[in-house]
Amino acid sequence: MSALIELRDLTIRSPQRRLIEGVSLTIHGGKVTALVGPSGAGKSLSARACMGVIDVLPGLERGSLVYPELDPKKDWYAGVAGGGARSHAGLLAATRHLRGAWFAYSPQAASSALNPGRTLGRQLELAIARRSTPPANLGEEIRSLLRGVGLGPEAAAALPGELSGGMCQRAALAIAIAPKPRLVVADEPETGLDPVLRRAVVELLVQTCKEHGAGLLLISHHSDTIDRIADDVVRLPAPAGAGGDL
Amino acid sequence: MSAVVAVRGLHKTFTQAGPWPWSPAREIPAVQGVDFEVAEGEVVALVGQSGSGKTTVSRIVLGLEEPTAGEIWLDGKRWDGLSEAERRPQRVRYQYVPQDALGALDPQQTALEHVVETLGALGRLPPKEALDRGREILSRLGLGAREGALPREMSGGEQRRVTLARVLALEPRLVVADEPTSGLDVDRRESVLEALVGNLPKGSGCILVTHDMAEARGWCNRVLAMLAGRVIEEVDLQKAQPAHPYARILFDPWSGPLPRHPLARSGCPFRPDCPLVDRGGLSRCEAEVPALRPMLTAGHRVACHALPGDPP
Repeated sequence: MSALIELRDLTIRSPQRRLIEGVSLTIHGGKVTALVGPSGAGKSLSARACMGVIDVLPGLERGSLVYPELDPKKDWYAGVAGGGARSHAGLLAATRHLRGAWFAYSPQAASSALNPGRTLGRQLELAIARRSTPPANLGEEIRSLLRGVGLGPEAAAALPGELSGGMCQRAALAIAIAPKPRLVVADEPETGLDPVLRRAVVELLVQTCKEHGAGLLLISHHSDTIDRIADDVVRLPAPAGAGGDL
Repeated sequence: MSAVVAVRGLHKTFTQAGPWPWSPAREIPAVQGVDFEVAEGEVVALVGQSGSGKTTVSRIVLGLEEPTAGEIWLDGKRWDGLSEAERRPQRVRYQYVPQDALGALDPQQTALEHVVETLGALGRLPPKEALDRGREILSRLGLGAREGALPREMSGGEQRRVTLARVLALEPRLVVADEPTSGLDVDRRESVLEALVGNLPKGSGCILVTHDMAEARGWCNRVLAMLAGRVIEEVDLQKAQPAHPYARILFDPWSGPLPRHPLARSGCPFRPDCPLVDRGGLSRCEAEVPALRPMLTAGHRVACHALPGDPP
């Protein structure tokens, strides 16, 4: 099976220094790739660069990004390096139709990533609408997504403010997988959760991705989690010259 | 040995108004009978899942919340039921470290100004002395070179250490720290806890509310594990391992299957998922909330009908 993402030699600069240098990773469908490293090593930056989002300037210095499943020949970073704000915006626009459909992003702070003014059911409906083929029965599809993450059908009527942190985390996960993405990028999904809930959320994430045959790029601080579930581990070194905190 | 804090039979019930003015109010029992002491020089960890009541207990100990029933004794004096006027002069001795460090700091004050202002306002030190003391405590916490930094110029770990410096400069009798390391990576967590535990004034107590079991293991004399508003296990991790089936999951979530059922409302709350429920006698686990009972190791107490027994 061909890989979902092949990222080679990614190097990104800020005006002051190189934020990440020479990061390479390959993600396969149905596999869990973990991205680990100390704070400031560029974990989130690399993960977002995989989705075509580079929001620092001068930005990309070198590297190549191929989505072999979509087009084995196309390098999405071609012509971006050194092109300034315009070329980065171009990359952002070119990958726009993939985000939220071909890949989904599960952010670090789930409660603030949900729309506080819309019920979960409505937010799921909007996420499902990004699929290429709409489901036969929308209501049933929403209920089954909620059931999959361990929430009852009554959660569809709830606003995010009415849910606990763990429930928000699960709801964000349901929304992330609703468009049936081929790749899920989860940025520290267990932040702020207690140890029992942390395991529950991570297991749920891995299980749902494997069920759909989707790849999972997981950013995590917790080595006990990584050791148990990752098929592949990419370690980023500590940032050079970023000043120690200790 | 006198206790810095003694908590006796603590209960707290919150009432939540219904959706309409005429709907009946809902009672939420947050803490249901908690007893513990913190001795001089002791660091006690309160651990538990979200919603287990650890934050409520710590807020009641500090007098930020009134208990529904029970007694709080601080340094041998009754603390609950006092008026704010009676408490206020005492409060400087019992300090709180918040979870959200950046939110607790003034964005326009430097690290040193934070400490000096606290020392002047609460410690009643003259400006010159406050300045010297502030410099000294900052350098003890490894922030000597950062005294002129504003909160947004500091890393997460440095921000936490400023909130610690501000509290420790007052030489409190008790420090209650509510998840002081949440959101930091492993190295920085260690540096924050080292700053806290290493610089506690001699003879002071500390209550550390935490999610992180490695922290409880490494830095605390005693751990109180909470479930549904009760302490289910009290253990010194240097001497014994957690024995309560729920505490074992809490300390090592990957060791076995996760709880799948909601907590029981009567009897032992962990009953629906408990592997020991047959040994405890099902009817007993259903009928009676287990009390803390001593295990073999001194100071180790567990609230389970099936324990102490043969090790599982």
